[in-house]
Amino acid sequence: MNRFATRNIVRFLVYAFVQVVLFKRISIGFEETYYIHFYIYPIIILLLPFKTPRSLVIFLGFVLGLLIDVFYDSPGVHAATCVLTAYLRDYILLLLKPTEGYKAEGVPVIEQMGIVWCASYFAIAMIAHLLVYYSIEAFSFVYLDEIILKTLLSFLASFFIVIITQLLVNPKY
Amino acid sequence: MRNLIYLFTRFGATILFVVLEIISFYLIVNYNNSQREIWIHSANIFTGAVNKKSQDFNDYLRLKKKNDSLMIENARLLEKVINYRIVSRADLFQNLEETDSLSRYALIPARVCNQTIHLRNNYLTLCSGSASGLRAGMGVITENGIVGIVAQCSRHYAKVIMILHSQSRISVALKSSGFHGNLLWKGGSHARLNLEAIPKHAEISIGDTIVTSGYSISFPSELPVGVVRDFRIPSGSNSYNIEVQIFNDLQNIEFVYVVDFLDRNEKERMDLNE
Repeated sequence: MNRFATRNIVRFLVYAFVQVVLFKRISIGFEETYYIHFYIYPIIILLLPFKTPRSLVIFLGFVLGLLIDVFYDSPGVHAATCVLTAYLRDYILLLLKPTEGYKAEGVPVIEQMGIVWCASYFAIAMIAHLLVYYSIEAFSFVYLDEIILKTLLSFLASFFIVIITQLLVNPKY
Repeated sequence: MRNLIYLFTRFGATILFVVLEIISFYLIVNYNNSQREIWIHSANIFTGAVNKKSQDFNDYLRLKKKNDSLMIENARLLEKVINYRIVSRADLFQNLEETDSLSRYALIPARVCNQTIHLRNNYLTLCSGSASGLRAGMGVITENGIVGIVAQCSRHYAKVIMILHSQSRISVALKSSGFHGNLLWKGGSHARLNLEAIPKHAEISIGDTIVTSGYSISFPSELPVGVVRDFRIPSGSNSYNIEVQIFNDLQNIEFVYVVDFLDRNEKERMDLNE
């Protein structure tokens, strides 16, 4: 269990660091509004081992969200989103459950689960994450079209980065 | 206590989720300016919607009063238009004869109480009667044209013979040439009436406007009635048979104006003397 803990702590710090240092500065937009943002940090929650206690996942999500919020100057927005994503993680895993179930020491990485499974897992979770994030950011469904546009564009960009990263790094656990 | 522990082991994740979400939203609303503004604003949107609903309801309750005041206002305006039109027509004599008053017609607004429309002889009942100044023989109009003539008057009600009545004969004229004839209804469509007794030497074309002639005491002259839709000369006849498309939609009239000709007595006396 120890190696899982070390690996995840390192991963947490590296991804969070890359997010706030590199991807925070990149946003692609048209005219006045920035529609494309890169949010790769939800991957930290998604890559936790299958058997991580649910409460721990949610708590880690909260800590991660707060950390991101400190750098993005938006107290609570990322925290709320991450907590929700962490809460939804179990349901998404349940939805995508293979017929033989998950292995006791399994980790949702391409090496173990295959690219198709991982891609659909990341896609569902990240769409949910971004949709919730932009909704909370706008804090009103008056801007629904803008929320959906931002979600789709940012999802495509972030998802691309996440999959490329996973293929490049290709973690074993 | 045991139940409490059970609750936490069973729903711990969900409880944690809810608690952390509440903390997050507390942070969002308290520390982010834009969201706080929206929060306040959303509250305003909600209260605003409630206020608007109650205002709408209030307006609805006052609708009748408002309608009545609008009717009176409308009647006054229409009255002015009619009188100005007549005065401008009579302008030629203005130099010779000083008219002491511009007003020769007054309009009395009235609400329709009851109406038949699908019969051969159609009547209208008005919710105003002699108490409001209505008399038998007065013309009834709307902004779009003529409706009929008051036949009987009680104190608070009046019965109107509509132009959609077999006995109704209204004196109308062709606006372009001034030839006049009788407008009557032969049944059928509520929008189509017949104009008779226009002599066959009159020049006429489809789309010509028909107006009231002003020969009767019921209607002022030059009130638009309808347009020529079709015309032909029956064989052996000296006059046209003209089909008129009227402007008024007689199926839905709610408010009408009753025309009060102020010089009525004078004119009636003159006509009788002849």
